[in-house]
Parts: sequence; structure tokens; C-alpha cells
Amino acid sequence: MRILVYADNASWLKQLRGLADKLEAEACALVFDGNLVEEASRLFSRVYYSSLQAFNPLQAAHVAAKALEKCNPDIMAAPCTNKGRIVAGLFSALSGGLPVSDVISVEAEGEELRVKRLVFGGTASASLRVNVPAVLCVSPGAMPEATYRGSIGVVEELRAESAGGIEVEFKAREAVGVEPDKADVVVVAGRGVKRREDLSMIRELAELLGGAWSVTRPLAADYGWSDTWIGISGLSIAPRLYIGVGVSGQPHHMMGVRGAKIIVAVNKDPNAPIFNEADYGIIGDLYKVLPVLIRRLKERGA
Amino acid sequence: MRILVAAKLSLDAGQLKFDSSGHPLIDACPRRMGDADKCAVEEAVRAKEKLGAETVVVTIGGSAEHARIIRDAYAMGIDKGYIVRINEPETLSLPTVARIIAEIYRRTGPYDLVFLGVGSNDTHSSMLAPMLSSMLDIPLLPSIDKLDVKNDGVEGIATMEDGSYTFRARFPAVISITSEANEPRIPTLRAILKSKRIPIQEVSPEDLGVNVERIRLENVERFILPRRRILMEAGDQSQIEEAVGKLLEALRSEGVI
Ligand SMILES: Cc1cc2nc3c(=O)[nH]c(=O)nc-3n(C[C@H](O)[C@H](O)[C@H](O)COP(=O)(O)OP(=O)(O)OC[C@H]3O[C@@H](n4cnc5c(N)ncnc54)[C@H](O)[C@@H]3O)c2cc1C
Ligand SMILES: Nc1ncnc2c1ncn2[C@@H]1O[C@H](COP(=O)(O)O)[C@@H](O)[C@H]1O
Repeated sequence: MRILVYADNASWLKQLRGLADKLEAEACALVFDGNLVEEASRLFSRVYYSSLQAFNPLQAAHVAAKALEKCNPDIMAAPCTNKGRIVAGLFSALSGGLPVSDVISVEAEGEELRVKRLVFGGTASASLRVNVPAVLCVSPGAMPEATYRGSIGVVEELRAESAGGIEVEFKAREAVGVEPDKADVVVVAGRGVKRREDLSMIRELAELLGGAWSVTRPLAADYGWSDTWIGISGLSIAPRLYIGVGVSGQPHHMMGVRGAKIIVAVNKDPNAPIFNEADYGIIGDLYKVLPVLIRRLKERGA
Repeated sequence: MRILVAAKLSLDAGQLKFDSSGHPLIDACPRRMGDADKCAVEEAVRAKEKLGAETVVVTIGGSAEHARIIRDAYAMGIDKGYIVRINEPETLSLPTVARIIAEIYRRTGPYDLVFLGVGSNDTHSSMLAPMLSSMLDIPLLPSIDKLDVKNDGVEGIATMEDGSYTFRARFPAVISITSEANEPRIPTLRAILKSKRIPIQEVSPEDLGVNVERIRLENVERFILPRRRILMEAGDQSQIEEAVGKLLEALRSEGVI
């Protein structure tokens, strides 16, 4: 079997290489980011690279078509990120492959695949039988990160035709301290945090733990306290430690934190759904619990 | 201007319950138009109010609940609706769904814009808009949080992992709308009553010449990752001190702090 992988960061290159290893497939990679070429060449024997005008979907489609022609894969794989889902959709339309998103496991059974995916906001999993060609959009943390192969792959630059019809302008996210999708520890504020000023507590806790802070969607999208949020429609994270503070744990949020090694929740409602998915839960008022937690961490630091 | 919107009847995942053997109680779970789809309908109606447009909605599925999706869209201000009659729409393959929407676009067009929700509430693949754009060979504006429809084109802003993207395209274009894009209107009673009198056009996949493919679904079951689920009461101050102490000790022995 042969697999073509699209990835938008280094961790995803390793996770999708992990998928290829699991399927014992020959693997090529497609990247649109020049900074990923070297990393990709340590993991894949063949790397297709093209620098797009920002993330121009028409150009992405042209380049994806070229990469498909060169690699001729049975399986195409991409991460369950915004761009990954777009590229997966393009792969499917271009190749006729059946797309499956939110994939958490894959097994080859003869010429078929048995695929498990999350559905219903991550509360359930569905098992499917899928013929190749297939397009798998993989859930974060579902595949083990592969290690380097020891040899360096061949890099081939694909020319992106100028894409008339659509123009794209990109503005990089302003770094607010540590980026949540790159941090080892992420503290997330939910609607239990009542005022914008109170985010300073969340930030202080994150700093003491050497991590990043973020919010649930309502705090970002409705209140405008942050540009990004954690969850299926925002960032997916897989830190060593996630601490949800005043977060109820609704499926669409939890889907973005499933990859965390340890989940901690602070919530005053003993029936909050997050406690069903937490390793450690403190049932109490965040306005009383957080000051103690912060003090104890400072004492330790001192 | 003509605008096509695709809207899906989806499960409210937050309210889904499971039986003791872990099977989802799908029939007991409320279903409604997806949040993002509703925002897509709202964007279409706003474009119509701003520039004048004929707005059309399409949904796939055979039940009375599916017809209700069209009525809900009418009540918000959509002019015309197609229901593609087919049973068990949940097991249609995504390429089949994409081909059905593409055929509605071709056969009931021409359209200037196609709006989709960025993801449905229950399966949320987010792959349909890129699939459609590629099949129809027209530009894609993905994951749009903020849309501006003009007389000769559109501009949309999307937030992605690494920052914000502004897309500009001329007509026609496919646009996926997020549930952050707007606050969908709540229809007035008068609009709801009026929506009941607008006819719904029925078509079948055969009428559209679409060959129906189904996914081979074997099993659906509750998904919970094994977690330790150690809970600590922290009501009064001494409990808080104790709980925080235990937590820090545990996190240290897990090696995560
Ligand atoms: C298609 C779709 C996609 C979505 N995508 C996302 C997503 O990507 N990310 C996301 O976050 N959401 C997403 N949502 C929304 C999601 O369903 C929830 O509405 C949201 O996650 C709830 O946020 P919350 O936990 O902050 O708020 P709430 O659900 O209101 O919870 C607040 C919690 O705070 C607790 N609390 C209140 N006061 C205190 C106190 N003093 N001390 C301690 N605890 C307190 C309460 O007990 C409650 O449990 C999506 C929804 C849909 C339909
Ligand atoms: N059965 C359907 N009927 C009409 N529109 C649909 C259907 N399935 C998906 N869509 C549209 O495609 C979007 C993305 O769906 P999904 O790929 O399931 O996340 C939805 O928000 C709808 O706008």
C-alpha cells in the first residue's frame, strides 16, 4: 500500500508517519510550509513541497492534484485541523477516495480498511469498513509519533500555478505568550470565569506551570476575550496536562482536548460532564480553589 | 443574484444518551438544523436584504423532520426549497452528498454563491465545502467567521490554527460559514405561519442522475477514554487546602508538573 500524507506541522508529520508505519505503507508527504521540508525529509522517503500564496485553496487543489499523480496513493491522510480537513476534502474530490474524518484507529484487512471514527461530538465511535482509495482525516493524538528513519528523503518542489479567481491575505496569530497548541501544560477558562479581569488568575496559573492559557468557545466567540479557543471548531491540543477551570465539558470542547495525557477539572457542579472525562477533579468554587492552587505553587517555587 | 444554501438535520450531540450496553439512543435525541447551517441561512438572507437575491435551500432526507428544516429556513426568509428524498441519509457517503448538492447547483442554477455550514453538529467532517469547490471547479472560501457579499464578489475572514486569512473571490464561489459568523434571527410568528404556505420542491437522487453510495457502518458505541476520575470535594477552606495538596502531589507523581 502507498500513502500520501499532508501535514501542517512537525508533530502531525510524525503522527501521520506513525499511521503509515502501522499500515506498513510506503509513504510520501505533501507540505505547503517551507519550514517543514527538512523535518518531512527525515520522516518520508519522498516529500512534495510547494509554497502557496498564503493558504490559497485553488492553488492547494492544483498542487494536491500533482502530488496525487506522482505518488499514486491508495490512502491519503491529513490531520483534523482546519487546513487538514480542507486538503482531505480536495484529496477526496480529486481521487474519488472515500473520506472519513475524526479517525481514531485504522487497520488493514486485506484490500480493505477497518476504520474507527468519532461521531456525535466525540461522545461515540463508529466502526466502518472502507475500500481504497480512502482519505483519512486523523484525530489528534490517535497515532503514535514516529521517529526519524535515519535516511533523508528526496524533496521535489511542485510549482503552484498562479490562482486567479481567489486572493488570500494572511495575518499571523499574535503570540500571546506560549501557544496553546505547542505547550506542555494548558489552562483553559470556561464560562465559570465571570469577568475578563479574572483571566489574570488563569494566566498566572499557566505561567507558574510553564504553560499556556486559552478559553472555551463562548469566551472567545461571544465575549471576545481571546482570538482562539480550544475544541473541534478551534484548536485541538494534546498537552501533558490540561486544566479546565469553570469548563462544563461539552462534547465539542472535549473533542479538542482528548489527546491530553492528564485532564484536571475545577468546577463547582458535581454533575458537570467534564468530571466523567477527568483524571482529577476538584468540586469547588474556582474563585476559592485557584488562589490556593496558585499560592501553593508559588510556595513550591520559592 | 442567486444563492444556494445546504442545511442538514443533525443530532444535538450534547443531549445524546446511551443505553446500558453503550448504544446511542438516537431516536430519543433531539434533532435540528445544525448551528453553522443556521448561520449559513442567515448569511443568505442578509445578502438578499442587502443586495436583492433569490435564496434557495436544499436538504437531503426523507422524513417530516427534514421537511421542517426547509420550513425553518423559509421562516428565516429563504424563498425556495428542495428536499432530496432518500431514506437513511446518515449512511450516505460524503461524495454522494457532495454530488447531490452539486447536481442541485447545476440543474436549478445558475447560482452566484453556495453556502454550507462549516460542519454539521453530529458528524462535522468539514470536508463537503472543499469537495464541492473541487467538483464544481469554483473558488472556496473556507471556515468564514465574517462575510461581506458585494455586487460582484465576496470577501470572507477565517481564523485558522496559525492566524487569520482574508479570502476574496468573484462569483461563483462556495463558502463554508462558521457558527461565529452571525446571530441567526428568530423568526416572527407571522413568518412562521407564512412559511407553512410556501411549497417545497421534491426531487430524488434518480431525478438528479446521482448514483447513491452508502458507507459500510458496522457499529456505533459510546466512546469514553479511560480516565482516573478521582474527584475531591472542596467546599470549605480546609477541604480546599487538602484537595489542592493531593492534586499537586498526584500531578508530580504523574510527572506532568
Ligand atoms: C458544532 C459545534 C461546535 C462547537 N465547538 C466548540 C469548540 O470548539 N470549543 C468549545 O469550547 N465549545 C464549542 N462548542 C460549544 C460547546 O457546545 C459549549 O457550549 C461550550 O464548550 C461551553 O463552554 P463552557 O464550558 O465555558 O460554558 P458552560 O457550558 O456554560 O459551563 C460553565 C461551567 O462553569 C461552572 N461554573 C460556574 N461558576 C463556577 C465557579 N464559580 N467555580 C467553578 N465552576 C463554575 C458551571 O458549573 C459550568 O459547568 C461547539 C458547539 C457546536 C454546536
Ligand atoms: N444531508 C445533508 N443535507 C444538506 N446539507 C448537508 C447535508 N450534509 C451536509 N450538508 C452541508 O454540509 C455542511 C458540512 O457537513 P459535514 O461535512 O457533515 O460537516 C453542513 O453544515 C451542511 O451545510
